[in-house]
Amino acid sequence: MKKLALFLLLSLLAAPVRLAAQRIKGSDTVLPLSQALAEMFMQSRPQATVTVTGGGSGVGISALMDGTTDLAMASRRIKFGEKMKMKQSHHTPCEFVVAYDALAVIVHPSNPVKRLTREQLEGIFRGKITNWKQVGGEDAKIIVYSRETSSGTYEFFKESVLRNKNYMSGVLSMPATGAIIQSVSQTRGAIGYVGLAYLNPMVKALAVSYDGGRHYVAPSVKSAMSGRYPVVRPLYYYYDKANEARVRPFLRFIDTKVARAKTLDLGFIPR
Amino acid sequence: MALQFDPAYNRRKRRLQTAVFGLFRLLSYAIALVLFVILGFIIVKGISVVNWTFLTQAPTDGMTGGGIWPAIVGTFYLMLGSALFAFPVGVVSGIYMSEYAPGGKLVAFIRMMTNNLAGIPSIVFGLFGMAFFVTYLDFGDSILAGSLTLGLLALPIVIRTTEEAFRDIAPSYREGSLALGATKAQTIWHVLLPMAMPRVITGLILSLGRVSGETAPILFTCAAYFLPKLPASIFDQCMALPYHLYVVATSGTDIEAQMPIAYGTAFVLIVIVLVMNLVAGLIRRHFEKKLNTK
Amino acid sequence: MKKWIDRLARRVFTVSGFVTSAVILLIIGFLFSEAAGLFRQPIVEEGYVLALNKSNTVDRLSAEEIKLLFDEDITNWRDVGGADMPVRVFRLEDLDRLYTEEELGAEYEHAGDKIAEQVRADRGIIAFVPTVLVEGRTDIHLVPDHTIPVKDVLLGTEWYPTATPSPIFGMVPLLAGTLWVSFFAILIALPFGLAVSIYMAEVAPPGVSRVLKPVIELLGGIPSVVYGFFGLAVIVPLLQQTFRLPVGESGLAGSIVLALMALPTIITVSEDAMRNCPRTMREASLALGATRWQTIYKVVVPYSISGITSGVVLGIGRAIGETMAVLMVTGNAAVIPTSILDPLRTIPATIAAELGEAPAGGAHYQALFLLGVILFFITLIINSCVELVSARNKTKR
Repeated sequence: MKKLALFLLLSLLAAPVRLAAQRIKGSDTVLPLSQALAEMFMQSRPQATVTVTGGGSGVGISALMDGTTDLAMASRRIKFGEKMKMKQSHHTPCEFVVAYDALAVIVHPSNPVKRLTREQLEGIFRGKITNWKQVGGEDAKIIVYSRETSSGTYEFFKESVLRNKNYMSGVLSMPATGAIIQSVSQTRGAIGYVGLAYLNPMVKALAVSYDGGRHYVAPSVKSAMSGRYPVVRPLYYYYDKANEARVRPFLRFIDTKVARAKTLDLGFIPR
Repeated sequence: MALQFDPAYNRRKRRLQTAVFGLFRLLSYAIALVLFVILGFIIVKGISVVNWTFLTQAPTDGMTGGGIWPAIVGTFYLMLGSALFAFPVGVVSGIYMSEYAPGGKLVAFIRMMTNNLAGIPSIVFGLFGMAFFVTYLDFGDSILAGSLTLGLLALPIVIRTTEEAFRDIAPSYREGSLALGATKAQTIWHVLLPMAMPRVITGLILSLGRVSGETAPILFTCAAYFLPKLPASIFDQCMALPYHLYVVATSGTDIEAQMPIAYGTAFVLIVIVLVMNLVAGLIRRHFEKKLNTK
Repeated sequence: MKKWIDRLARRVFTVSGFVTSAVILLIIGFLFSEAAGLFRQPIVEEGYVLALNKSNTVDRLSAEEIKLLFDEDITNWRDVGGADMPVRVFRLEDLDRLYTEEELGAEYEHAGDKIAEQVRADRGIIAFVPTVLVEGRTDIHLVPDHTIPVKDVLLGTEWYPTATPSPIFGMVPLLAGTLWVSFFAILIALPFGLAVSIYMAEVAPPGVSRVLKPVIELLGGIPSVVYGFFGLAVIVPLLQQTFRLPVGESGLAGSIVLALMALPTIITVSEDAMRNCPRTMREASLALGATRWQTIYKVVVPYSISGITSGVVLGIGRAIGETMAVLMVTGNAAVIPTSILDPLRTIPATIAAELGEAPAGGAHYQALFLLGVILFFITLIINSCVELVSARNKTKR
């Protein structure tokens, strides 16, 4: 017991005095990207400290209001109410697009369905279409996987594909994107949506049409960069205008070649 | 009664007994087997991942490389923090129950409260920790808030073992000490506490074993997804093994690359819990032996 | 001096004796004060209001109706007690699409006029806009808001905590999911638990018992997140393949994991209870010519039934409150389960999954605290049952 206490004391003493640390907090979607960028940033500048924590877009923005974070990550745009609140406390939120993220609709690799229109997707996620044969597949029940209600990805998919309507209540909500991949790869009748960055050979991505079936586009970094793939959203950093000088070096780093390469590497589309 | 001399009935009931006992044995072994399957599964898949780098490095490459050192340290801090809170408070409270409380209804009431506290789900502790420590006392997401929340979880276990340990001490020790002119406080400090200590420590270690594996209470009070450096003060967040296992197993961009890390984390977590249980068991056995030889 | 220390010690001990009671009171206080706020929240998201055309007479909309209107499942005002005209949904985002930034003003100072313009133009419109923009206007009809009714929460069957404009907090599916998965967990754990505890207490040679006991304790010591991980990686795919299920994440997967987690509690408590059965009673039974099995189920089990009950009830308590393992394997679909092979969503899993992103002080945050209160009371009732049973047991002796 004494040894343990001594160890703690020593490790506390040995911990470095905190340098001008930057804190990044918010959306779990942006988290892996921020974490990787922070890692590289710190390698190039050993004196810098960047702490990255998740919690969600809303958490990040409210932390920005309290001043407990320097950068708020958000996978959605700052809400009107949040902006007003910040204005009231004499902070001006500034927006910075870190990267773009495309959402891919995924199914089990054995599913013969290759493409769907937005209207069909809306029907599926709202529970109006329940069998794969209604959209040209086998006679099998559609198992719908979604993210938890609180995630930015959930909100964006709802906004873009469901046109702001609500999901059916029977969707399986997964706590994280990894779990969706895992489940869809195991379940024959499954459909789900994930960020392009998460796509892997365990699941099959569908081509999507936003013009009623005239043009189908498969999700890829290329089609998303050219603007042909429709389900693309910007990922944001928000910071207080008064705090700009402090976060500038890191934001500038995001525009460097290595950072852009890393962004692409992780499956996001560089700004 | 005459039936008992009926050999056919006797044979039947013996056969029934053999069958039932056989079934029970089978089920018992099945449970043991389940444990070994779970442990074996995690050990086999995890042990190949665990090496010196894994144990001493921070995660790299977006959680697909490196190690889990910050999570190990974080879990250690949380265990220590919760022990620093739960141990003194729990022991004193347990002593009160055994030595001071006027028996009857009051003790029954306090004991009921302690049992109720033990039965509260860990997620409710998490809610409370978030509302009270994080928000109301304004500790923020921090090691302090996490430790206190976990400490509350460990408290009933420490209280209960302390109370039992003190109760099991023969009254003659107390009487002897008091007869020599010692006050009650002196008796407790010099005579009873040393005798009860091994069992109290056992209880503490067991509760720490539980604390080290809890995720729900630290979800909203302390745990961080990624921290490049070790926490510098008790007001910092920290990473923790169970939470790390949860995030690595369910989120992240590259599930296949993360799976080995998840297995490795589960392995380290299991080893910590096993070691805690083992140590507690050894202390208990040592103590029981000493008691038996007396 | 000695006396003084003694008195001080007595006081310190007395105060700390009540620490658990104090903690419970604190927990109740904080959980309640947060949860109670839910019923003071307006139906429509805070800071927003629903605006209708002046000619529209609809004056009260429930959360359910608002959701159906905005989902375009209700397309005519007739269905919610209005005149026969089609519904047109209007959101703040539509404003950005219809007008340029200059028209709206940098600080949205003209936005109110533009919204009113839209609302005046369409008789069937329902606009979801920030209150500050349209406050005090008389040229449009603002739907008066009311607070969230208790009935809709406790008896509601839909859980849409982030639906806009008005979230729906029906807790029945979550409660049903929790009870359902725990019920099956106990159904699975009970035969195993009884068999193993009887075997360990009565049948097994001491050597075997000595090995089994730490094994069971270890089973109880494995962190729940490890069980969840194991369930996710092994049990879910296994179930899916063996039963050819459309989905592996199901109540059954949760029940199996929970059964494993409840077993150690059930076994340890019932085994202790059976070991406490007096030797004389067993010997009397055996002397009358009963076999050991007859002795067990006619004498030992009835004698220790209250202890066994406590064990089982404690096991139920553990299953109901379990969070992480369930979160990882049950699929978390907020529907009232009709079969154990369906995915379901439990109260603890809901809290764990949603609290992180629910803004503090908002309706969603408070609804999650209300779930915590419900969970707290369920476990409190369970524990009180155990106390009662064991108290009766003591007086019996």
